[in-house]
Amino acid sequence: MNDARRNKRRVGIAVLVIFAVVAVFVVRLVDIQVVRASELNTESLSKRSVSQTTYGSRGNIVDSSGNVLADSVDRFDITASPLLVDEFERLEEDGKSRITVSINDAIDELAATTGAPVADITKALTEKPDSNFAYVAKSVTLETLTAVRALKIPWIYDVLHPSRTYPNGAIAGNLVGFIGTDGPQAGLEYALNEKCVGSTNGTSTYERGADGIRIPGSTVTSKEAKDGGTLRLTIDRDFQWYVQQANAQRAVELGAKWATTVVVRVSDGHLMAVADYPSVDPNNVDGSAVDALGSRAFSTPYEPGSTMKSMTIASLLDAGQIEPLTQVVAPGRRDLGNGESIKDAWAHADIPYTATGVLTNSSNTGISLLSDKLAPEKRRDYMLAFGLNQSTGAFPGESSGYVPPTSDWDAVTNYAVQFGQGESTTSAQIASLYQTLGNGGVRQPLTLIEGCEWPDGTVTELPATEGTRAVSEAAADTTVRMMENVVTQGGLSQALTIPGYRLAAKTGTAEVANAPGGGYGNDYVVSIAGLVPAENPQYAIVVTIGEPSTMKTSTAVAPTFKKLVTQTIKTFRIEPSLDPSPEIPLTW
Amino acid sequence: MSSNLAFATPLRSPREEQSTRHIEIVSNRAQRKSRPRIVYALVTVGGLFALFIAQLLLSIVVSQGAYSIASLQTQQRDLGRQEQALSEQLDLLASPQNLATQAESLGMVLSTTSPVYLRLADGVIIGDAAAATAASGGTVIGAEGNLVPNALLGHIPLVTPAVPALTPAVDGATTVPPGAPTTPGTPGSVASTPMALPSPVTR
Repeated sequence: MNDARRNKRRVGIAVLVIFAVVAVFVVRLVDIQVVRASELNTESLSKRSVSQTTYGSRGNIVDSSGNVLADSVDRFDITASPLLVDEFERLEEDGKSRITVSINDAIDELAATTGAPVADITKALTEKPDSNFAYVAKSVTLETLTAVRALKIPWIYDVLHPSRTYPNGAIAGNLVGFIGTDGPQAGLEYALNEKCVGSTNGTSTYERGADGIRIPGSTVTSKEAKDGGTLRLTIDRDFQWYVQQANAQRAVELGAKWATTVVVRVSDGHLMAVADYPSVDPNNVDGSAVDALGSRAFSTPYEPGSTMKSMTIASLLDAGQIEPLTQVVAPGRRDLGNGESIKDAWAHADIPYTATGVLTNSSNTGISLLSDKLAPEKRRDYMLAFGLNQSTGAFPGESSGYVPPTSDWDAVTNYAVQFGQGESTTSAQIASLYQTLGNGGVRQPLTLIEGCEWPDGTVTELPATEGTRAVSEAAADTTVRMMENVVTQGGLSQALTIPGYRLAAKTGTAEVANAPGGGYGNDYVVSIAGLVPAENPQYAIVVTIGEPSTMKTSTAVAPTFKKLVTQTIKTFRIEPSLDPSPEIPLTW
Repeated sequence: MSSNLAFATPLRSPREEQSTRHIEIVSNRAQRKSRPRIVYALVTVGGLFALFIAQLLLSIVVSQGAYSIASLQTQQRDLGRQEQALSEQLDLLASPQNLATQAESLGMVLSTTSPVYLRLADGVIIGDAAAATAASGGTVIGAEGNLVPNALLGHIPLVTPAVPALTPAVDGATTVPPGAPTTPGTPGSVASTPMALPSPVTR
């Protein structure tokens, strides 16, 4: 009987113990799984999870045929952990022997591969010895990175540093702009950062195992990286290079302060080339003067001079006030009363010019007499219709130029505005004006951006295509016919004629109002604007050279203008003209 | 036990015989069928084990995949970077500044002449046929010549024509007779720009 009772008690104790143990486990389990669950989960996740920045790629800027003008590239920052800096053993190439590399040797090797001075690296590594992070070199190329990795220094790391490069240097550099350390600084890089090329970085986290390998299915993207769109310009890279080279060459030869050339496709107002001198190489912004960073062709207005006479002629033709053979007697100097007068560039007695003769010989007095046929307000309206006194809309931050209201016109300004003084325009506006004349009087919006192509295939930022009529087709075409006589019969005929092609052009020599105390000084802006081929204009070309010091007339521009027209013919494969230019009598 | 004496063997009690009779309830066929069979238990347990093992293998394969994904991703990234670095270099080499300076150093000139056409219908030549000269276009080499700077091109050497003997002779007078000692090759031409590296003699 005793045995049975003892057995019972023993079983009872065992059960109790088991229950007690189970209870302890249950309490612990509840504590871990329920009470402290979230806290522990967070803690464990923080040990496993890695947060990373995913970089969106900034959109490229390309020319009309896809040549890259601004390119997003990977660069790498070489970093180190000063805390861990020590000598280390490096496995030799034979895979067996090891050699010990001292800290100084490692620094020397780093300096040799990255090009950073030894002193800088030493400073970076020793400045804060307790730190876990220091820059050794910034923005190195893949080539350098590979070389650095080959050194197998255990305390050296690398970080991706997306960067920007401009493989074509200063070609369209003034248009493309550049990126500084604080982001886009100028040009289209800046203006279309939000609308097109700019990218946004994303973040994502993933969990990794003890050996650093990502645990499958653990990636959580908290923010998607967004790539920028590809910005396509209307510019032709190779042509732009030629234009920029020729433009700069002439500016250097003439000792000019600045020079611009604009080439526009007449049919749609697309800009084929916009050259600025001095220009900026976006790869080396520090190498350029501050006032060379923007695009002068758009941003800097000047008094254009006689290239405006074509516009005056077109306005008067459109108003029905003149014809190519309208007769006028142009004096050398026209007295406007109150001691004021306007005069021609050369002294002469009265000449019986036709309207074509006035244009061809660029007679200021002649154009003033023709302008008398139309009221000032009407003449100003024509200027506005040709796009003056308003920005062309092609480029960010451009100047709108200035045509004073007629109430501000004095006796001289009344005529001066008709031959390009007393008002200001940009090169782009003059190009637009000649585009209008070439396009049968319809002004197409000047266009630099062909569109923004997004990674998903959509295209935004499409240019406006709606043209506005400035003058009638007949008036525009007649003006171009008359301008052909500048090339066939004008003073620069020899310098401008291109065998086999008909060309329409107008020269301009404008005085610059920069004399001390105001008024016109001894500096000039010389220019030639024209259309090729004249019988069916396809391209408008405007070459402007600002404040040359050696030759101060438009003769200085003629060789470059001819060179650029020739290049336009070759680049865009313009067919030769079959009929000769019409000869219109210049005098009567 | 070896005794020859007779003795009586105990009699078996008949009651005892009765009590050993075994009676059992015989289940009918339906009952036998509904009885749980061991094979089902085995299948179930075996199935569970199979599932566990499959699960284990699957997770092994998945995590093995993680390693190959990681290594492939690294490879993809590295190749992508390499491709990008090469196309970056190509874009640079294709830049007009580089092509123009290289072409000029090889003896080409910047043309400023207008195109000339031969009209097949009547054989009329449209335009003025004239050869481009070095003077008309100007040079594009060097800081004085290349007015469209590209800071990235500094380290790219100019390709200059190799040995003069290799250039085809234009007029008969300068033709080297066969067997005559050829002009000694220039020891690696020196680039025109002071910044650029001398280029090796290439063929």
